[in-house]
Amino acid sequence: MATLFPTKVAPRGFVSTDPELAAVDASVRWPVLICLLSAVHWMVVGTFLLVYASSLTHPQDSLPILGWFIDLSANFSMFTYGRVYPAGMDALVYGWCSTAGLGLAVWLLARMSRAPACAPGALMTAVIFWNLGVAVGLTGIFLGDSTSAELLEFPTYASWILWFAYAIFALWAVATYLGRRPGYDHIAQTWILVGLFAFPWLYGAGSTLITSHPLPGSGVIQAVIDAWYVHGIYTLWLAPIGLGTLYYLIPKISSLPIRFGTKAQIAFWTWIIFAPWTAVHDLVGGPFPAETVTVGLIMSGLIFIPVAIIGMNLVSTSFAAEEQQGHHGGIVFPFLVLASVLFVAAGISEQLLSIRSVNELLRFTMFRECNTLLWVYGFFSYVVFGSIYYIVPRLLDFGWRSALLIKIHYYTSVYGILLVLAMLGFGGVMQGNTLENSDPHVTIVTATGVIVSFHIAATMCISLIAIGNGIFAFHLGWMLIDWLRLRVRGNRLASEILVEPYEGDFAKPASEEVVA
Amino acid sequence: MNSTLTFRALFALFFVIFLATWFGMVVFPWLELGHLPPIQDEGSTDILPWDAPGLAHQGEQIYAADGCAYCHTQQVRPSTSGADIIRGWGTAKDESGDEKAPAITRRTYPRDYIWQGQVFLGNSREGADLSNVAERFPDAAGLYRYLYDPYILNGHSSMPEYRFLFVTQKISGQPSQDALILTPEDAPPAGYEVVPTPAAKSLVAYLLSLKKGYHLKPDEAGIPYVPPTPTKT
Repeated sequence: MATLFPTKVAPRGFVSTDPELAAVDASVRWPVLICLLSAVHWMVVGTFLLVYASSLTHPQDSLPILGWFIDLSANFSMFTYGRVYPAGMDALVYGWCSTAGLGLAVWLLARMSRAPACAPGALMTAVIFWNLGVAVGLTGIFLGDSTSAELLEFPTYASWILWFAYAIFALWAVATYLGRRPGYDHIAQTWILVGLFAFPWLYGAGSTLITSHPLPGSGVIQAVIDAWYVHGIYTLWLAPIGLGTLYYLIPKISSLPIRFGTKAQIAFWTWIIFAPWTAVHDLVGGPFPAETVTVGLIMSGLIFIPVAIIGMNLVSTSFAAEEQQGHHGGIVFPFLVLASVLFVAAGISEQLLSIRSVNELLRFTMFRECNTLLWVYGFFSYVVFGSIYYIVPRLLDFGWRSALLIKIHYYTSVYGILLVLAMLGFGGVMQGNTLENSDPHVTIVTATGVIVSFHIAATMCISLIAIGNGIFAFHLGWMLIDWLRLRVRGNRLASEILVEPYEGDFAKPASEEVVA
Repeated sequence: MNSTLTFRALFALFFVIFLATWFGMVVFPWLELGHLPPIQDEGSTDILPWDAPGLAHQGEQIYAADGCAYCHTQQVRPSTSGADIIRGWGTAKDESGDEKAPAITRRTYPRDYIWQGQVFLGNSREGADLSNVAERFPDAAGLYRYLYDPYILNGHSSMPEYRFLFVTQKISGQPSQDALILTPEDAPPAGYEVVPTPAAKSLVAYLLSLKKGYHLKPDEAGIPYVPPTPTKT
């Protein structure tokens, strides 16, 4: 097996040789950096909350620390599963994915517009308010103001803060897009714009109609709106931002054009038409209009068209790049390749749920959590990991500290995420077979007995992910501290770094980020 | 790959596509089911579905705050879709007044939920469906005991203990009426008793209001009607 990672990382020399791009990077340095840093902070918080929540799902286990967790959850309302789990998911979706997504969107839009960003101060204000909104929302959940509507648990007062912060981002994005230098239109721009357009619609409608002003007497319509919202967040907010990043970075790093690139437009439009209908996967068999469910299953079944094209675009380009260069190339590419593969996997999982009989089997099982983690941890987190490894050195003109830590982060999170997906997916099938058994003697007690070992396995895998994420956060912090030391102490350290002998272990430079 | 669309055209297209999705997925169901009125039961003065007492509506908020809905559903699918009926989650005693009437086993319809301030249909069956939980736990004492220690009924249960919904207090004079009757392991020291907090009382009132022991006629269901499953004798 070819080495996946270089054994050394370049210490300096990341500023783009294109002066326009260098000016753009310098203009958005602080807003993007703060976005990414606070996102990593929320990732650590969210992952820890998920480890804790997951360890509560097998209370009969005898590990001493689990006993301590379980006592906490039994005696303090703040630490009960029903508050920690939603808080953890919200920290990941709003704190980690969305904050990082906003940072990526800012950086990509500014870069593709090729004009130095306007009003970085407004962006900084927006980032600070966004983080405040997430913090207030999580506090609200812990204190018992949760609404229990999936991904809309944040109480109204937190929604207003998020809403205000987002409005600044959106205005900035529109201004930047309109002020772009002509001649640089890119499919990635369209993906980012649709994400930025979809989020306020989703969050505005969802938080208003469920949290602050619920429709009177709406009954089951609340569940319909929530399903529309949850799948909208995955397919119209996280997926577009993530795909936009991949469509920009993969050709940039591999210096190959996107394969089958002429079909990318078709993939885009079919995706935004079909993908939101995956919402009906949460409605099959329930007390809802049958027409909506039937139409929705047909529409969401058609997402194989965009998923196949996007897979051909991204996965085949990355594999071609790998073949051409003899190895994956650098520290960024392995993460992006995995992100594209996991996007296809998430598409296949949605495809499975659009088959009515499969949906009936898996609807209420762990498989649904597998599907959620596939979007949040699998696909989107890898996009963000890869992008952070790419972007932060360019913003600071300062290299990562250790190739070994990147390698450890990669392997712990690869094994962690793939195993947790396997455990939750397979456990979901076992649970479904028990819950949907036609023998009336099978009860919920049988089902909880079947899945307990999968819960234990899931806790172990999420702990592995947490270790990887912790190493990543540590590495980022280390890099920043060294960078600050360099800024403070000035040229002495810089000269030390520059005279340090540096030789890459690769024959020909594979990509931008390892070129010194 | 160059986009030839102008900014305005791009946004107009996004808008139209989202509007179509929004209409099909949210507005259409809302027009169909958003304004279901209650109905007058034939032959009695009952209004169907029954409204729950005020305490139960407070309990909804405890149910939301403590996230019961992350592991429990409140929907019974028809026998044509899944095995909910076989699991017995759709069965409730007929409470129309006739003592000899057979138990009602049916799916849940949109009209069943019209009185709930917030509906908790749920997406995970880590635990049992709660549409008819009052049928399986007919009295408050059993529910209190179960919330305090779920493992007395199911050793594999992944349900957390909700001890923060109870207080252990010194018995002064007469023991409280709603003090929990606990197994020796859980029992408080002599002279003390475990009593539910107001939050626990409202939560249990809410759970006790969850039963669907009445018939809805085909034209009252709101969505395609599935005849109730005949009860096996």
